[in-house]
Amino acid sequence: MKSFRKMTYPYVVWISFIVVAPMFLILLYAFTKEGNAVMDFVFTLDNFKKFFVDSVFIDVLLRSLRVALVTTVLCILIGYPAGYFIAKSSEGVKMRWVLLITFPTWINMLVRTYAWVGILQDDGIVNNILSIIGVRSITLLHTEFAVILGMVYNFLPFMILQIYTALTKMDNSLLEAAADLGADRVRSFLKVTLPLSLPGVLSGITLVFLPAVSSFFIPKLLGGGQYVMVGNLIESQFLTSGDWNFGSAISLIMVIIIMISLYLTKKVDKTELTERRAN
Amino acid sequence: MKKLIQFKNIVKNFDGTLVLKGINLDIYENEFVTLLGPSGCGKTTLLRILGGFLEPDEGSVIFDGQDISGIPPYKRDLNTVFQKYALFPHMNVFDNIAFGLNIKKEPKDIIEQKVMRMLRLVGLEDYSKRGIHEMSGGQQQRVAIARALVNEPKVLLLDEPLGALDAKLRKEMQKELKKIQQEVGITFIFVTHDQEEALTMSDKIVIMKDGEIQQIGTPVDIYNEPINRYVANFIGESNIIDGVMKDDYKVIFENKEFKCVDSGFNKNEEVDVVIRPEDLDIVTPGKGKLRGIVKSVLFKGVHYETIVETSAGTSITVKMTVSEDKPVKNEEANEMMSANDFYIDTLDIDELTDAVIIDRADAQAWNPETEERISITEVRYEVKKEKGSYPVTFSTSAGTSFTVNMFVSDVNKVVDEDYGEEIYAVNFFKKVDEIQESVILDTDLKVWANAYAYDLEDETSVAITDVIYDFDPQNITPGVYDVTFKTQGYVYKVDTTEKSEAGQAVGLMFDPEDIHIMRK
Repeated sequence: MKSFRKMTYPYVVWISFIVVAPMFLILLYAFTKEGNAVMDFVFTLDNFKKFFVDSVFIDVLLRSLRVALVTTVLCILIGYPAGYFIAKSSEGVKMRWVLLITFPTWINMLVRTYAWVGILQDDGIVNNILSIIGVRSITLLHTEFAVILGMVYNFLPFMILQIYTALTKMDNSLLEAAADLGADRVRSFLKVTLPLSLPGVLSGITLVFLPAVSSFFIPKLLGGGQYVMVGNLIESQFLTSGDWNFGSAISLIMVIIIMISLYLTKKVDKTELTERRAN
Repeated sequence: MKKLIQFKNIVKNFDGTLVLKGINLDIYENEFVTLLGPSGCGKTTLLRILGGFLEPDEGSVIFDGQDISGIPPYKRDLNTVFQKYALFPHMNVFDNIAFGLNIKKEPKDIIEQKVMRMLRLVGLEDYSKRGIHEMSGGQQQRVAIARALVNEPKVLLLDEPLGALDAKLRKEMQKELKKIQQEVGITFIFVTHDQEEALTMSDKIVIMKDGEIQQIGTPVDIYNEPINRYVANFIGESNIIDGVMKDDYKVIFENKEFKCVDSGFNKNEEVDVVIRPEDLDIVTPGKGKLRGIVKSVLFKGVHYETIVETSAGTSITVKMTVSEDKPVKNEEANEMMSANDFYIDTLDIDELTDAVIIDRADAQAWNPETEERISITEVRYEVKKEKGSYPVTFSTSAGTSFTVNMFVSDVNKVVDEDYGEEIYAVNFFKKVDEIQESVILDTDLKVWANAYAYDLEDETSVAITDVIYDFDPQNITPGVYDVTFKTQGYVYKVDTTEKSEAGQAVGLMFDPEDIHIMRK
């Protein structure tokens, strides 16, 4: 085993360059501002102050959290029935559905999101169809609706697959046992299926909420200029305004928010388990 | 006693295979009924139909005077202990047991009382807060039983509940289940493939085979009076002998007439005679009702399982001609070659191929230094379909050759009408060293002599159990030896506490009531 361990060294070096070093740079930038001729870096908390004092930025953060939350809830509402339906299908049908759901992810996310631009824009497919049937065209692109639609569309497969996996792992004899003990279908679902699929829902939430809250190209493409989210803010700090220090500070805030939400999901998962034992 | 459950002509098929072929069965109150049979006999299907998890294709199930076909499982007044327990992994022991009561919305304090009572019944008072995965297999089993019983069902269904436990725990749980059943006083329907389990626990055993009921009865009835060969073999061990019923209370088997206690058969009806191993006694040869030779003795703890053969099977004797090995040497090509004469049936000539001839003659060529084998590229022979000897010449591509004789003879077989068997074997030639080097001589002798035995009726092959010869394989000298091949004759399994020696001549003793006669 020892000799094999050596083979990981190049990987460790690579990871340090690609991941660890940039992280340190972000940390460094976030707590400094551009110095003068004597000193290159000056330590400061101004970047954070700027974010929390200016309500514009807080608004952006809250908007991001709200959009991500709405996306996640919609993904659960659509994903749970879908995952349940697939898990209860026969073996062959199951495979076909799973393939169908994963199939779009083989195409680049950016390309798929551009496709939505084509569908939603003012002279796009939706409005064309509406004009044919004589309905006045409506603005779809560059609205919150478009952004959430794009996010649900992109992240839904993760939710469905997580729930589907959790449900297929469940032993069918548990449902027979519940029926045997007097539970009708609704109560079997509420007392057995649902609690046992909760871990799948939680990991689905992690997989949907996190990318949704930090996504930047979906709001950029589907939300247009008006619809700024944290991801877009960070992007513009680095690419447009050139304020790397402020951009790094926002990134760091996002990292902390993500860590807190990860911790919370883990905790819910754990209390679920311990509660089961304690009660 | 009152009839609680009636199965009426239950038919079920899965994808065109009939799993249940019209089951009629009555189950009474407070009975411990066991459905016994090998896997695939339909016993679990029958249980699942009663539980409501499957619908029968035909027939009806009457439960407490009411037809319950079409009533979903959750409305049936019975509970099941599942094969793999099916305990809810997200609940602790208490919640698992309380599940059914919670569904019925019973008051909290009543639930608490009932669950604790059940925990005491199964001896798990201190485990109520434990998670399911922290429990051993035996404990999970008890939780499953408690979870079912707490609902106070009229019937408890148990689907091979002891299958996953080790032997010792099984025995304990068998006793415990029986005790619990007597204590709660409800009907238990128990499914198993373990005949011992069925015998120890049941009030009534239902033996099933291929979707049909073979016999229903108490353990004692079924053990002592099995209805047919299948039941006799499935329940306990038995000696089953072909016999003929001469008259009431008179049966003939092994060409002797014996008294028995059975009547009601036709005159000269062919029957199966059952004698249980423990009903046979070993006595001195003159004093027994049958004579035999002890074939083997196995120590079984309490008793010795002794196999006694009362009449020999079908046998055939062939000649083995042993000679010294005289291989030829081809100096030029540096090759050695050897082969031996061989016999072949007139019947086999049609199917003669080079490979068969090389095999029968055991022809081989090799390099004397490296011991590497060299291919035989040519087999030259002329043969007619009549008796006689024909030369066969083997040669390699380097030109080394060896000639042997192929003797064509009539088919050498012995037919035994009594057993309905025939046995074949041919004379053969072997080299001294081949016999000395053989590590599985009995098997090799069968192969060399091409010995086979067949059942005359259905042409299935019959095992050759004995290979008899009187030479010492290690010190054999050239010459002609007899080798006899024999099938199994009539053998009896005898369970006694006295030890016999293999090869000993003994007598077998039994009383008329030890004989049980079954229709074929």
